[in-house]
Amino acid sequence: MIKLAQLIMIGITVGLIYGLMAVGFVLIYKSSKIFNFAQGEMVMVGAFLSWTFLGLFHMPLVLGLPLALVITGLVGYSLERFPFRPMIGQPILAIIMITMAIAVFLRGLAILIWANYIGIQFPTVIPEKTLKIFDIPISNVLICNFFLVLVLVILLSLFFQYTRIGLHMRAAAESHILSQSMGIRVTRSIAQSWAIAAMVSTVGGFLLGYIRGIDFGLAETGLIAIAAALVGGLESFKGAIAGGIIIGLAETLTGGYIGHGLREVIPYIVMVAVLFYRPYGLFGLEEIERV
Amino acid sequence: MRRPSGVFDVSYIQDMTVFRTRAQKIGMLGFIVLLLLFPLFGDEYWLVFINSLAVTIIALQGLNILAGYCGQISIGHSAFMAVGAYGSAILAAQFNLPFWLTLPCGGIGAGLVGLVFGLPSLRIKGFYLALATIAAQFIIMYIIRTPFPDITGGPIALHVPPISLAGFTLDNEIHFYYLILGMTLLMTFFTKSLMRSHIGRAFVAIRDNDIAAEAMGINLYRYKLLAFFIGCFYAGVAGSLWAAYTKVISPDDFTLMNSIWQMGMLIVGGLGSTLGPFFGGLLIKALNEICLIAGPMIDNLIPQIGAQISAALVEMVFGAVLVLFLVYLPRGLAHRWEILKDSYRLWPFSY
Repeated sequence: MIKLAQLIMIGITVGLIYGLMAVGFVLIYKSSKIFNFAQGEMVMVGAFLSWTFLGLFHMPLVLGLPLALVITGLVGYSLERFPFRPMIGQPILAIIMITMAIAVFLRGLAILIWANYIGIQFPTVIPEKTLKIFDIPISNVLICNFFLVLVLVILLSLFFQYTRIGLHMRAAAESHILSQSMGIRVTRSIAQSWAIAAMVSTVGGFLLGYIRGIDFGLAETGLIAIAAALVGGLESFKGAIAGGIIIGLAETLTGGYIGHGLREVIPYIVMVAVLFYRPYGLFGLEEIERV
Repeated sequence: MRRPSGVFDVSYIQDMTVFRTRAQKIGMLGFIVLLLLFPLFGDEYWLVFINSLAVTIIALQGLNILAGYCGQISIGHSAFMAVGAYGSAILAAQFNLPFWLTLPCGGIGAGLVGLVFGLPSLRIKGFYLALATIAAQFIIMYIIRTPFPDITGGPIALHVPPISLAGFTLDNEIHFYYLILGMTLLMTFFTKSLMRSHIGRAFVAIRDNDIAAEAMGINLYRYKLLAFFIGCFYAGVAGSLWAAYTKVISPDDFTLMNSIWQMGMLIVGGLGSTLGPFFGGLLIKALNEICLIAGPMIDNLIPQIGAQISAALVEMVFGAVLVLFLVYLPRGLAHRWEILKDSYRLWPFSY
C-alpha cells in the first residue's frame, strides 16, 4: 500500500514534468502547426547548459538558471527565422523531418561539447530529506518539484489568458491571415512561442535532471512528452498536463510492479491505444477534412 | 521528361518506355557491367562500403514506396528491418532452413508486422501516423530485447549461422558483393515495374489526396495496407541480407536514430523517384565516412574538444545537411539530376 502511494506520488510528479514539456510542444503546435520533435533534445541541451553554469562554473542558482533560460530563449527565438519560416505551408513530412534534423544536430552538438562529462549531477539546491505525509515516506525534493511545476503551469496559463503577448499568440494560433490583418506580427508571435517553449524545456530539463541525473538519455524523455501531448490532445494545455500525468503514472506503476523493460515502452503503448480509441486525443479537437 | 532532339514519341508505349534512346541503354548496360567487374579492381574498403550502401538502398526503396509514393510517413523502418534480420536469423538457427527460404520469409514476416502497425493508417495520417510508427519502433525493439532472450539473444547480440546458396558457402566480401548487388538490381527492377502499374498509380493518388482518391474508387483500406506490406517487405529483405552479411546482429543496429537516418537519406535523395534512394544513400553514407575519417584528425589538432568527436561530427553534419536540403532543395538530388539532364539535352538552346 505504501509502495503504491509512493509510486503514485512519484508518477504524478514525473508526469507533471512531462506535462510541462508537453506544454512546450503544444505551444509551438498551436502557434505554427509545427510538430517539434526536437523537444527532447531541447530538454537535454537545456539541462546540460544549466549544469554548465551551476555545476561547472559554480554560479548560484538565481544567476545560473536565468542565464541558461536567456540563452535557450534566444536560440529558440532565432530558430523561427531559420529554418522554420521557410517551412510554412510545406508538406507535413518535411516539417516533421526538419525538426528531427534539428534534434539530430542538437544531439551531435551536445555530444561534441559535453561528452567528457559522464554521470554528472546538479549541485544540491535543497538538502534531501524524507518527509512523512499520511505515513507515506516521500522525498522533499519531489514535493518541491511538484509545487514548482504546478506554479509554472498556472503562471503559463495565466500568461496566455491575460497578457498582450499571450493574446497575440492565441490569435496567431487561430489563424495567421486573420491575425495579420488585425495588426499582429505573426512571425514575432511564433518566434516568441519558440522562445517560451525553449525556456520551458530548459526548466523541464533542470527539474528532470535534478531527479535522475544529466545524460544524453534525457532526450528520450522528450519523445515521451510528445506522447503525453498526443494522449491529451494537441490543442490544449490542460490536455498536455493530463496526458503527462497519465503517462507518468503508467510509467512508474509498470516500473514498480512489472519490470524495467516494459517501463520504457509503456508510454508508447498507451499512446497507440489512445490513437486507436480517440485519434485526436482526450481533450483534442477532431479535424474535419475536405478535399 | 524531355527527349533529346530528334526523338519523337509516336505511341503510348514509346512514351512510357524506361530506356528510350540508345545512349540510355548503353549507359545502363555499361553501369551494370562496371558494377559486375568492380571486385576486380576495388579493394576491401570499397567493397564493404558498397555492400552496406546497397543493403541500405534496398531498405530505402521500401521506405520510398511507403512514404515517397504512397505518402504514409514511417519513422520505424529500421525496426521492420530488425524483424527481417531477426526473423531470418532465428529461422536459420532454430530450424536450419536454407538461405533462399529464410530471405523471403524474413521479408514476408516484416511485411506482416508492417501490416499490423499499418492498421492505424486507416484512421490517422501525417503526424499521428509518424508517432504511431515511432511507437512501432519502440514496441518491436522491446519485444526483441526483453521477453525472449533465449531466442532473440536479448539486448546483447545474436549470432547468425553462415549461409550457403546451392551448396556454395558465402564467406567473403566478394561473394556477398554479388549476392547483395543482384538483390539490389532485382528489387530496383521490381520497384520500377510496380510503380508503373495500376498499383503505383493508386499509391500516388493516395499520396496526393487520399479522400479524393477514395472518391475516385480507390480502395484506401486495401492500398494503404498493401503499401505497408510492400514497404516493410523490402525492409525485411534488407534486414535478412544485413544479418547474413554481418553475421552478428544486435538491437543497437536498429534504433530510432537509424529510422530517422533512413527517412533523411530518402529526403536528401528525393521522395518518389527511382533514383532517390541511390543518390540519398550514397551522399549520406559518403558524408558519414568522411566524418569518421575527419573526426580523429580534428581530435589530433584540438585534443581538448569532446571525447567522441567522430560521433558528434556525424550527427551534426547529417542534421545540417538535412535541414539545408529541406529548406533549399526539398525535392532532393533526384530532381536536381532531372534538371541537369534536361539542360544537358537542350544545350546550348535551353529555354
